[in-house]
Amino acid sequence: MMSDRYKLHLVSAVVDFVKGLRELILPFLIIFFANGFSVTFNPGDSNFWSTLIPLGIFLLIIVLRLINGFLKWWTYVYWFEEKELRVEYGLFVKKKRYIPFDRIQSFNYKEGIFHRLFGLVQVMVETAGSTNGKPEVILTAITKEAANQIELVTRKSKEQAELQADDLEVEELAEPTARVIHKMNTKSLLILATTSSSMGVVVAGVAAVLSQFAELIPFERIFEELSSFIKFGFIAISLAVFMTFLVTWLVAVIITFINYYNFTVVEEDDRLTITRGLLEKKKVTIPLNRIQAIKVVENPLRQIFGFAAVAVESASGGFGGEEKKITLFPLIKKKDLMNPMQELFPHFVWQQTLTKPPKKAKSFFYRLDFIWLLPVVALGSYFWFPYGLLSILVIIPVIALGLWQFKTAGFAINGNQLTFCYRIFSRVTFMVEKKRIQALEARQSYFQKRRELTTVEVTVMSGLTGAAAKVPNLENANAEEIMKWFEKSSS
Amino acid sequence: MCNVRKQLMYQIPRKGLTVWRLYGLFNTALTAILMGAVIFVTYYFEWPSFIYYIAIAVVVVVALASIWLFPRIRWDHWRYEVREHEIEIQSGLFIVERTLIPMVRVQHVDTSQGPILKKYDLANISISTAATTHVIPMLITSDADSLRARISILARVAEDDV
Repeated sequence: MMSDRYKLHLVSAVVDFVKGLRELILPFLIIFFANGFSVTFNPGDSNFWSTLIPLGIFLLIIVLRLINGFLKWWTYVYWFEEKELRVEYGLFVKKKRYIPFDRIQSFNYKEGIFHRLFGLVQVMVETAGSTNGKPEVILTAITKEAANQIELVTRKSKEQAELQADDLEVEELAEPTARVIHKMNTKSLLILATTSSSMGVVVAGVAAVLSQFAELIPFERIFEELSSFIKFGFIAISLAVFMTFLVTWLVAVIITFINYYNFTVVEEDDRLTITRGLLEKKKVTIPLNRIQAIKVVENPLRQIFGFAAVAVESASGGFGGEEKKITLFPLIKKKDLMNPMQELFPHFVWQQTLTKPPKKAKSFFYRLDFIWLLPVVALGSYFWFPYGLLSILVIIPVIALGLWQFKTAGFAINGNQLTFCYRIFSRVTFMVEKKRIQALEARQSYFQKRRELTTVEVTVMSGLTGAAAKVPNLENANAEEIMKWFEKSSS
Repeated sequence: MCNVRKQLMYQIPRKGLTVWRLYGLFNTALTAILMGAVIFVTYYFEWPSFIYYIAIAVVVVVALASIWLFPRIRWDHWRYEVREHEIEIQSGLFIVERTLIPMVRVQHVDTSQGPILKKYDLANISISTAATTHVIPMLITSDADSLRARISILARVAEDDV
């Protein structure tokens, strides 16, 4: 039996340390904001101690982190023994974790900047039981050869176990065929950036940054000088607007490239491997049978141009809690979607007619919004009297969105598959098999009851908390139909 | 297929309503203390007197709602049924929810009992799936225990395929 003990690469100490630093930035900023940036090193100044004490504490924490990272690296060992991956670390409190090979679901990889400098990789070992959103074991930095070796040892042992299990099977363990399902080129990355809903966030960010600079620019003088040339002023303003959008777009493009550069989906041996990233390379593997539900998301802009994004809800989350939803296709033409999806998920039906909420449900989609809208409009009108009345106009887009949500909503039942279609802002098509549903809920408010409408919500397992999808205001009978369909699963 | 779903079989025991009223009483007491503080501050700083009326009205409304009205409605809405293949729960105050949990999905069942519930010989039972947790509150302790045992047996029998 192999029982060589392996250590992590020294870089892992640095990576752990830097990760720790990143967590410290926010409290650091908060404290300095609270101090009003009155940083001083003059002992006579009244702010001297309020600068020194937090600074000292931070320095202490940083040093502790450094020692901690180093100690972890120093004590961390992993090895293979008795068909288990065994990990041990800790100086005073020794932590040991033994994972049987056949419990390992997948390996996920991540290469940060530090990793790439030294040809290293971070390995996250995912097991079926790690539902608390965290990978079972994280090897912070090991060489790529070592990573390959781990995967090889695991696979070999698993295959042997399978061979022993059924001797009848002739040795036809041909190399698993890898199939590229999807690869993003530069053009689609650009479209992805341009149509991403985070554009709005970026616009706000850029506007905020520009408004900071605005104080530096002597607008008043410029305007005074230019007031005679109104035409030129107009050009200047439109130029400024244009520049804002250009900068926004560039930022969006850069972010998109960093995250999605070289996005590739490969199917191999009943598992999907997704590789992506420019600076930080990430590689996630999901076994196909761990996929709980499929979500096709079209934000309004993409819907107009016929694009969609596809995500899957997986029982074992990619990189811990925050990334439980795994994007399969960040951007794909809707008409190109069917073929690869049909191949990947042959048991799903992709073309179907939705049952819509009834006409009487229409007003239910926007009337609840009036409850918070009315006081807003009333207050706005009261305090900024003549112009505040314009806030009444807000009602128009709210009703429009409500009607749009009404038009989108619907459901379909196809054998064992349930499809929910709904819109909050983006249109979501949520597909799930009966056996993946954790709970089904029908909800009815007093007013809905009077009009015989019911909201139906379905929950599947995904990461720590699960993921839910709901179609509001369906006809009672339809909701009943879904409940009946679900009940039948066992009877 | 009948259109109207038939009413679920079991209700929360009558004692549960009493306990909910008791909780409402605590709530009211807390609100009363808070409002007392408001009245005191109002008196101290000589704020306008309408604040007194608002504070008193708040206490009265909270008392009426959380002692008399809400427990009643909630108790009326609460229903549950544990069948061979699924658990169905109906709950809610203004919005009535009906939840269907297949037995296969149940991962574990807990009962819990605070000091007040213990006094009334009641227990909450909570049913966890991989993604959600559902509570049936205020069951007679012995019922809760036997229900817990029953669910765990049924859940074990049901074949798992996650």
